[in-house]
Amino acid sequence: MSANDRAGRTATILCNCSGIISGQIAWDQVQDHLAEHPSRPLFRVDDLACGQDNLEALAEWLRAEQPARVVVAACSPREHLETFRGMMRKAGLNPYLLQMVNVREQVSWVTPDPAEATEKAERLVRGALERVQLHTPLAERSVPVQTRVAVIGAGPAGMQAALTLARAGREVVLIERESFLGGLPVRFEELFPHLECGPCLLEPLMGDILHGALSERIRLLDLSEVAQVKGAFGNYILSVQRRPRYVTEQCIGCMECSAACPGRRPDPWNTRGELAAIQVPFSGALPSIPHIDAASCLHLQGGTCDACVQACPVEGAITLDQAPERLEVEVGAIILATGALEKEGVPAAFAGLPDTLSAYAMERLLASNGPTEGRIETPEGRPPASVAIVQCAGSLDPAEAAYCSGTCCQAALKYEHMLHQKEPALPVTRLVREQVAPGLDAAHLAAHGSVPVRYAGPSDLSVEGAGDSRLIRVTSTGATVPAELIVLCRPIVPGAGTPAAAHTFEVGTTPEGFLAPRHGLSAPCTSLRMGIYLAGSARGPGDLREAFASGTAAAGLALSDLVEGRDLAISPERAEVRETDCSGCQTCLPVCPYSALTWDADLRVARVADLLCMSCGTCVAACPSGAITGHGFTRDMLRHELEGVLA
Amino acid sequence: MTSVISPEATGSIARPPMLKVVAFLCNWCSYAGADKAGTNQLAIPPELSVVRVMCSGRVEPTLILEAFQKGADGVMVLACHPGDCHYKEGNLRAFCRAELLERLIPQLGVDPLRFRFDYISAAESDKFAQITRSFVDGLSRIQKTAAAR
Ligand SMILES: Cc1cc2nc3c(=O)[nH]c(=O)nc-3n(C[C@H](O)[C@H](O)[C@H](O)COP(=O)(O)OP(=O)(O)OC[C@H]3O[C@@H](n4cnc5c(N)ncnc54)[C@H](O)[C@@H]3O)c2cc1C
Ligand code: FES
Repeated sequence: MSANDRAGRTATILCNCSGIISGQIAWDQVQDHLAEHPSRPLFRVDDLACGQDNLEALAEWLRAEQPARVVVAACSPREHLETFRGMMRKAGLNPYLLQMVNVREQVSWVTPDPAEATEKAERLVRGALERVQLHTPLAERSVPVQTRVAVIGAGPAGMQAALTLARAGREVVLIERESFLGGLPVRFEELFPHLECGPCLLEPLMGDILHGALSERIRLLDLSEVAQVKGAFGNYILSVQRRPRYVTEQCIGCMECSAACPGRRPDPWNTRGELAAIQVPFSGALPSIPHIDAASCLHLQGGTCDACVQACPVEGAITLDQAPERLEVEVGAIILATGALEKEGVPAAFAGLPDTLSAYAMERLLASNGPTEGRIETPEGRPPASVAIVQCAGSLDPAEAAYCSGTCCQAALKYEHMLHQKEPALPVTRLVREQVAPGLDAAHLAAHGSVPVRYAGPSDLSVEGAGDSRLIRVTSTGATVPAELIVLCRPIVPGAGTPAAAHTFEVGTTPEGFLAPRHGLSAPCTSLRMGIYLAGSARGPGDLREAFASGTAAAGLALSDLVEGRDLAISPERAEVRETDCSGCQTCLPVCPYSALTWDADLRVARVADLLCMSCGTCVAACPSGAITGHGFTRDMLRHELEGVLA
Repeated sequence: MTSVISPEATGSIARPPMLKVVAFLCNWCSYAGADKAGTNQLAIPPELSVVRVMCSGRVEPTLILEAFQKGADGVMVLACHPGDCHYKEGNLRAFCRAELLERLIPQLGVDPLRFRFDYISAAESDKFAQITRSFVDGLSRIQKTAAAR
């Protein structure tokens, strides 16, 4: 064949898939019927086109034939599009001059009648032959990535992720909405399953974040929340809102200011008692610099009080005129570790009752830096005559939380154990619907002979009497449990911070409101958005082991996806506005799910930011002027494909 | 290869000439569901020609009208379930456009039963087989009624 005859032909590779396809589809018939097709197909039947040797041979054949375009009729493009694009590159052809036809999954396997299968295959190959005539070479581009990583939430999972990244030499921005590090468990005196002290477990991590070699790579933005996210994997821009602390790092932590402060607020950390307006949340909180609560500070509420400034021995440590800051942070990837909380409120049987604590409040009551310095007292300050711990108080209940939170049983066993140690004579009873204490090392928690009282569901419990003669009655069994102090282990829910993060970072949530993983089993730390990873109980209730493991995992994912010096390939199959055709109607702007379309007010045209475009084509379909080209899926390509399959 | 599906099971023998049915499938859910129907060797109507798009949101109403113009007996748009769209909300756009089309096409003399919008997840190969079958069966009923007139 002369070079001239060859020019402009469409190489058409028909795969037998080792008989799977050719058993149903008569390729010779397809070739006969399409031989005169205007695309001038140049057929080649291959027994297994994806086989390594066959790919080499096909690439060589293509290199020799130099066709204008290529069609491969084989298996699903979901499986082998990239394989055959690789073949195109090897043959020196632009990979986008290729169209695949899925004749295995969508013809031979689903069409029992060989004649019908052959007819269908012919139709689909004709569609591809016509479509591919409109394919144009597309240039693959790559952009450098920002290797810095943002970690949102400085609980155990976030701290672990930040330190893992810093150890790999990465710069990290750690963004925490509170004034202190450590999340929930830094406030817990002891941790199940080994009854280790919470702050002691976390202090080395907090120390590494605040001082020492690794701290040089970790920028902590406390009292901060991300207000806006722009960009995409490799190049995110976070706009961070930072509330003032009103106390600088010159502070020596003497707490003279708190002693002098006349402002008062309810103590949200201890859930009872009061704090001064300038105070650390609890002793041992790090950084150990107090913070002023603007709502209760007499000065910041417009008064003239400066008692703290007067009391402070370090000049300039307290700055009452500090303003909120808005910071821009550029990162390549993001780890969300915003945690979970106990659900607020109480089940109906306990509504309005005094001396009722959440599990969190119990943790603080047991803590030596808590409201009673660890003494077991009712909120009125009396030692209780009995304690009842109600587990599953809202869990396993479709009206509250249909799931098992998985950590409360061990927490309740921990409270029972700690109460026995503190007050051996104090009667403590656990009420359970189900008891779950999985893991190699959890069994010993129940080893002190603890026997729970079972109940059937939320309506099975009622409370009778008051004070030291108060009891909980289990209707179904008639059992009664002395209950002067009642601890309710409430379901673990996303709290406020996790849904806020889901909204800002536009990652999906589970029906329960936790951050949705890409896959619950195989990708539990990957979000639905490229370059955003998940760690800790923001993904659903979990213990510390899971928080640490998932923090490490999320950091590992960020490290392997975002590599120094490895540029990010941008798919050329993206949307592009032909400015001459754009009527300036702005229909496309709100339909883009990625805010990739921007408005040029001077020229009155829309533009696509190609880093942000994810190639869904929604704007292409929405544009009334047809001014947006969806490369790889243009209007004309789809029209021609339709013509081919309908011919 | 001998197919595991017996021809009797499909009930689609001797139907010349074949109806022409186009189905726009999004790459991530419905196309994956159709592929799964393949791996599970479920019978899919041979009349169906699948056009792969990245997202159901890519399919503009004019393309569907053009398919009818070019001779399609039926057109389907199959999307990810609400909340599952790979691009967050393309399927919601597709749903709104489908609602519009359902009201528009009778005005153009096209039986509304010749268009169908539905959701197919990557796992729903059975549903894919079932709705494509019932859609094509519906189209052949329409054809028979028209022929009887
Ligand atoms: C009552 C109770 C007792 C428990 N006892 C134990 C135990 O004994 N042993 C055990 O292993 N596990 C225990 N757990 C579980 C343990 O607390 C969790 O496994 C752990 O807290 C998970 O860590 P994390 O980093 O994912 O989340 P968290 O500890 O909740 O930390 C999340 C951090 O993110 C911050 N944040 C939230 N939203 C935002 C936002 N939008 N922007 C910026 N920052 C944000 C929060 O302020 C917080 O600092 C207990 C849980 C509860 C509720
Ligand atoms: S990707 Fe399936 S509908 Fe958008």
